Amino acid sequence: MNISLNANIPDEVRAVASDGTKLRYALMELSAQYPDAIALGRGDPDLATPAHITQAVMQSIRDGKTAPTPVAGMPTLREAIGEKFRRENGLDVVGDNIIVTAGGQEGLFLLMQALLDPGDEVLVPDPRYTSYDEAIASAGGKFVLIPTDHEDAFNLRPEAVEAAITPRTKALLIVTPSNPTGGIVTEDRLRAIAEIAIRHNLIVISDEIYEKFLYDGWQHFSIGSLPGMAERTVTLNGFSKTYAMTGFRVGFIAAPANLIAAMAKVKAATTGATATISQWAGLAALTGAQEPLHEFQRIYTERRALMLTGLRDLGLNFSDPRGAFFFWTNSSSIGIHATVLSYLLLKEGHVLLFPGTGFGENWGGYLRISILQTTDLLQEALGRMKPILDRYRAQAK
Amino acid sequence: MSAPYTLARPLAARIAALAEPTESPADAPPVPQAVIDAAASALESGQTHYTDRPGIEPLRTQAVSMLGKRYGIELDPGQVTITCGATEARFVALKQLAAGKAILAPGGGVSIAQAAALIGAPILTTLGEPTDIGVFYLTPADDPAVAQLLLDAALAYGWWVIFDTALPGSLAHPALNAALAPKVISIGSYSEALPGWRVGWMAGSSAHNKLRGYKQSMTICTTSISQWAALGLETEA
Repeated sequence: MNISLNANIPDEVRAVASDGTKLRYALMELSAQYPDAIALGRGDPDLATPAHITQAVMQSIRDGKTAPTPVAGMPTLREAIGEKFRRENGLDVVGDNIIVTAGGQEGLFLLMQALLDPGDEVLVPDPRYTSYDEAIASAGGKFVLIPTDHEDAFNLRPEAVEAAITPRTKALLIVTPSNPTGGIVTEDRLRAIAEIAIRHNLIVISDEIYEKFLYDGWQHFSIGSLPGMAERTVTLNGFSKTYAMTGFRVGFIAAPANLIAAMAKVKAATTGATATISQWAGLAALTGAQEPLHEFQRIYTERRALMLTGLRDLGLNFSDPRGAFFFWTNSSSIGIHATVLSYLLLKEGHVLLFPGTGFGENWGGYLRISILQTTDLLQEALGRMKPILDRYRAQAK
Repeated sequence: MSAPYTLARPLAARIAALAEPTESPADAPPVPQAVIDAAASALESGQTHYTDRPGIEPLRTQAVSMLGKRYGIELDPGQVTITCGATEARFVALKQLAAGKAILAPGGGVSIAQAAALIGAPILTTLGEPTDIGVFYLTPADDPAVAQLLLDAALAYGWWVIFDTALPGSLAHPALNAALAPKVISIGSYSEALPGWRVGWMAGSSAHNKLRGYKQSMTICTTSISQWAALGLETEA
């Protein structure tokens, strides 16, 4: 859409408007000025970390089990993660195929450093979490966007993937469920994409960090479980979203053993082993009771249902999110660039949400709205947004 | 069960320059009671989510206080970023400031050898062509006379100076020279008392926001409970 970015927005937002990650942080810093701000921006679960996890951490500290671990992670945790991947995702992996990282973001960074030579291309769905861009660029790589769209529920089209492949393409990134769109890549598409990856000898990076949050009966499927994919699939996941423990900074990756060994070398040079207490937290999360996760799933399903109705009532269009924590809403009917609109909603309504341009330069007509607040606060946010959107929509006519 | 599979494509060429990770020590010193208490308090109050990107303000203030007491350096907590140990701080600074240039490390630069190898920056232990150098890596253990000579050169040639206080020694802080201070990045760590908790910091210089942004792109923030626990060290002291 052709909406200009010339409204009266502060210099600190305008200065970073072309950089998705910086734009998101600039808006978060602005929102800190409003004590009553309702944050529907960052993907940080508002729910408490399950008690059995924090208790396990405390016990490890009291027992003095805080010494540094091997760089790739505690062997017991790596084995437990391998068992999870075998049981839940159908991956043929053991502990040597696993590295424990300081969150999913570090996993991406390590992976790109270990995988990419300058000039190598990585296919990335558009829109995307722009931290992928930074990880790729940091290794001298280049990202190539694969279009997805509202009409196809932001599913990935195999023919679009194949059309973007060049002699420099080394890897394809799949994010399912997706941040920011809430779309998933369906099993039939994953099977077709796997055939393409094998035919063109591509590495597939499958970011499955939202795998536990699916709606309307959709099921998760891991592309790494398909025949011929084990030697070319890197599966990213983590504890942050699943168990509401973003502050522990602990994620994990399954991949061929030589890639894991290479990532461990990079990790030793750049950050060292993941914090030991965080690894104990991860082990407790994986091996402990899963009832808290089931309760999280129930809560998010309820919130999603509330927002499905509430956002439609605001006149916003979207594909029903099939997973994750977000609504990727088309706000072009308001007639204001999303960067400006998100600023106005923050300034006038004290509601923080992220403009589509925080997830790619092509998305000036979209907003990403999270469900990571209580139902009361979600209702309050919708109530604050309505008069603002109505007024600007009327002015645009 | 075995661990099958080799990646279907070659690894990045830069991997060949890196050494195998060394085994970590099996033991750590006892965790001080004040650290245990600080961690317990943080866990009980729900500090298990992302912290602010720069790190928690009290810990940044503590780092500033240490720099003031030990070295006579005055900084604002806004010029400090908490990192995943000194290892991350060193890598971030070198990646952002030394890429395409050489690193001058008269003490040998053992603690930065792998980071330098990853970014492809050679480490020089003696001064060669000054314009080839991007960063002067200085530790408190370095020889004062040599350090002064090279700090004069740093000022003359516009090198960045990394002063690694995570390592022992008694050298004066290079940022005491006001003309040089905007080019000086201080690095520190809590790892001696709290190995395995992965808490360090980087502070100062006109490049600080750039370094902070790159750290954020790597790991978002540092483990929250580790940050709150490190505050307990001050109580213990």
